[in-house]
Amino acid sequence: MGVLITPSMIGQVVISGLLAGSLYAMVALGLGLIFGVMRVLNVAHGPLLMMGAYTTFWLFQWIGLNPYLSLLVSMPLLFLVGVALQRFLVRRVVDAPELSSLLLTFGVSIALVNLAQLAFTSDLRSVEYLTGSFVVGPFALSKPRLATCAFAIAITVGAFVFLRSTRLGKAIRAVSQSREVAQVCGIDVQRIHLITFGLGSALAAAGGSLVAVMVAIQPEMGQVYTFKSFLVIVLGGAGNYPGALLGGLLLGLVEQMASLFLTSQVNEAVAYVLLVVVLLIRPTGLLKGRV
Amino acid sequence: MAPILEIRSVVKRFGGVAAVNGVSLALEPGRIYGLIGPNGSGKTTLFNCITGVDQADEGEILFKGRRIDGLKPHQIFHLGMGRTFQVIRVFPELTALENLLVVTTAGYAEAERRARELLALVKLERLAGEFAGNLSYGQQKLVEFIRVLMTDPEMILLDEPAAGVNRTLLNELLDAVRRLRDQGKTVLLVEHDMKVVMGLCETVFVLDHGEKLAEGAPGVIQADERVIEAYFGR
Amino acid sequence: MKRWFPVALGVLAVGLALYPLQATGYGIRVMLQLFMWIALAQSWNLISGLTGYVSFGHVVFFGTGAYASSILIVTLGWAWPLACLGGGVVAAGLALVIGWPCLRLKGPYFAIATLGLNEVLRVVVSYYEGLTGGGNGLSLPTLHASVEIYYAMGIVAAAVTAVTYVIVTSRFGLRLMTIREDEVAAEAMGIDTLRYKLYAFLLSAAAPGIVGGLSARDQGYIEPLSVFPLIMTITMIVMALFGGKGTIWGPVLGAAVLFAFQEVVWARFIYLHQLLFGAIIVGVVLLMPRGILGVLQQKYNLPRTI
Repeated sequence: MGVLITPSMIGQVVISGLLAGSLYAMVALGLGLIFGVMRVLNVAHGPLLMMGAYTTFWLFQWIGLNPYLSLLVSMPLLFLVGVALQRFLVRRVVDAPELSSLLLTFGVSIALVNLAQLAFTSDLRSVEYLTGSFVVGPFALSKPRLATCAFAIAITVGAFVFLRSTRLGKAIRAVSQSREVAQVCGIDVQRIHLITFGLGSALAAAGGSLVAVMVAIQPEMGQVYTFKSFLVIVLGGAGNYPGALLGGLLLGLVEQMASLFLTSQVNEAVAYVLLVVVLLIRPTGLLKGRV
Repeated sequence: MAPILEIRSVVKRFGGVAAVNGVSLALEPGRIYGLIGPNGSGKTTLFNCITGVDQADEGEILFKGRRIDGLKPHQIFHLGMGRTFQVIRVFPELTALENLLVVTTAGYAEAERRARELLALVKLERLAGEFAGNLSYGQQKLVEFIRVLMTDPEMILLDEPAAGVNRTLLNELLDAVRRLRDQGKTVLLVEHDMKVVMGLCETVFVLDHGEKLAEGAPGVIQADERVIEAYFGR
Repeated sequence: MKRWFPVALGVLAVGLALYPLQATGYGIRVMLQLFMWIALAQSWNLISGLTGYVSFGHVVFFGTGAYASSILIVTLGWAWPLACLGGGVVAAGLALVIGWPCLRLKGPYFAIATLGLNEVLRVVVSYYEGLTGGGNGLSLPTLHASVEIYYAMGIVAAAVTAVTYVIVTSRFGLRLMTIREDEVAAEAMGIDTLRYKLYAFLLSAAAPGIVGGLSARDQGYIEPLSVFPLIMTITMIVMALFGGKGTIWGPVLGAAVLFAFQEVVWARFIYLHQLLFGAIIVGVVLLMPRGILGVLQQKYNLPRTI
């Protein structure tokens, strides 16, 4: 410590926090949707993000595709992967004890990570596309972070509009509140499950494509996002989709603020400590939710 | 006589909706009470608040003069209040006997004696070693019922005891409940079957939209216009 | 079943006790590791198989025990048997600290909470460099004690199995199982589920702690990556699942079978190996969620003491 903390440093931290938080929010929404609709905690969420990142990387590598355009590929692609996972694997354990779906998605996550290891090796990859920062007054806004935030916000807003206004989105919310009632109302719950898993995977993929520009890509990169997405769900309240947004922003802010005082090594543990603290105080999350 | 259970202006909200909206009840010991109301009236929520499964947002709940709102279910159980569930919750991979044994903290020999005694009471002794999950619906219902009695609680809450039960078994259950009352225990049951409620309960509480609509003897309640309206339409 | 089983067990025990007298160093090492995996799989079974609260970070107790006992040896000069027991105690202490807040959560939440635990411990170990040697690892004074450690591991494996037997046949064990069967009903029936979960968690952490210490002593050197690897948790889980979680001998069976598998495949094809483990987990969950012994138990109506 012993560092003088100026208002502009705090401002910088807040901005960085919100930029990072928007990504967490989007990715967490994906996990939250799957959990809300099917009560399945998808441990493979991180690996799906990783697959999105690799998609962007290889497209950039082979045909020089703009990473942000690759969203148009990675999202639909992983949507289909998600649907396949649900159709062939997850569907069979949705009604089993929650233990089963946990173990199943855990197994899937191991398989996906090691498939990536076999296919791509554990060499670190990166997408050199956007570097540098805009300097606005005393603040430095990292360009890739800004772009990520912009797309994350756009996609998240799109997701919410979808959930609020379209018939499919409302059906998803209905199933997430009560499967029996939704069925009685004529909603094809199986179809909703397929679509939701696909959507959740697509959101993870979007996260992967966006971070591909900023971080090192390797098969195990996703695990930390699984955990942080989960943390965001706990912060925001399970089943509370707007809560996921707030939770994401909060996580981003807390992490950046912690980086003011702590070395980067210990930073990783910050998310964890936050989780334990929140669980001790309010196990149902900071906002209302169904644990 | 001091009431054994007092519910004072309890409010419980889910999201923006108040499932229970300022309900007050008082139960005297040694009587059978019924809690009825149309679907969504807040009966199960109130039950859950009493037994600690949910925490009331406002109000107080006193059992034997002591506040129990805020206590965890297992603590309330040990104070002398047991409950059964609307959807049967026996432990399927434990035998019928084991289902009963886990409940009490008494010594093993004592516990086993009491468990077999209760099983004999409902004529299930020969199924003591059978996995509860393999029993028929009616048998599971009985096991859940006697499981509550293992520690000889002073008050018993029954959540829809008549659901899915055939006439013979139902009569046995009702007789058992009357015998419990005769022993001085207090029973509160939530029930949809009006014949059961009217034939068994001494006092009936009616809930509607989370509020207490009426309270009184079965005959009085049956004739109450507001109750009829709540059930059959407005 | 009842008569010849204890006899067979006794014969096996004698055989294993005499084994080092005519085995090669390599053979002893292999068996020593098998005992270790039995202890680990059994321990995971204690919390995850009995209570249904899946722990995805169980290797954290192994690593904690490894570091705690190694530090006791290096900085305080303790003899290794005592130090390893100390490792077990520290691991159990960690379980208490983590379990107290996290076991209040419903199952899936607890599982993910344990997932991140590994990362935190690895960070903690790197941070307290002075004590733990940080990223450079910690070296123990040279000692050739493979045979003694073989016996120690064997004793721990046997002990955990015995403890599992005692638990499964007691009311304590029944109560743990009610948590798995229906936690809401268990609470309503007066069972303080938090306390029971905590006991199970503590018990499930002790053996990995001891075994971690023993393994560290045998290797003579540890570093964060070697004692906190995710693959160890995965392996523990696969072994217990495959053999039959919630049973007594299931983890032993699973450990034996998959350890043999591991010896053959691992060295040559690491990622394929892990991939296969992931596939086995998926396969077991979908096709035989109760594991081999669980399936046999159901089919032939075997007692719970299998």
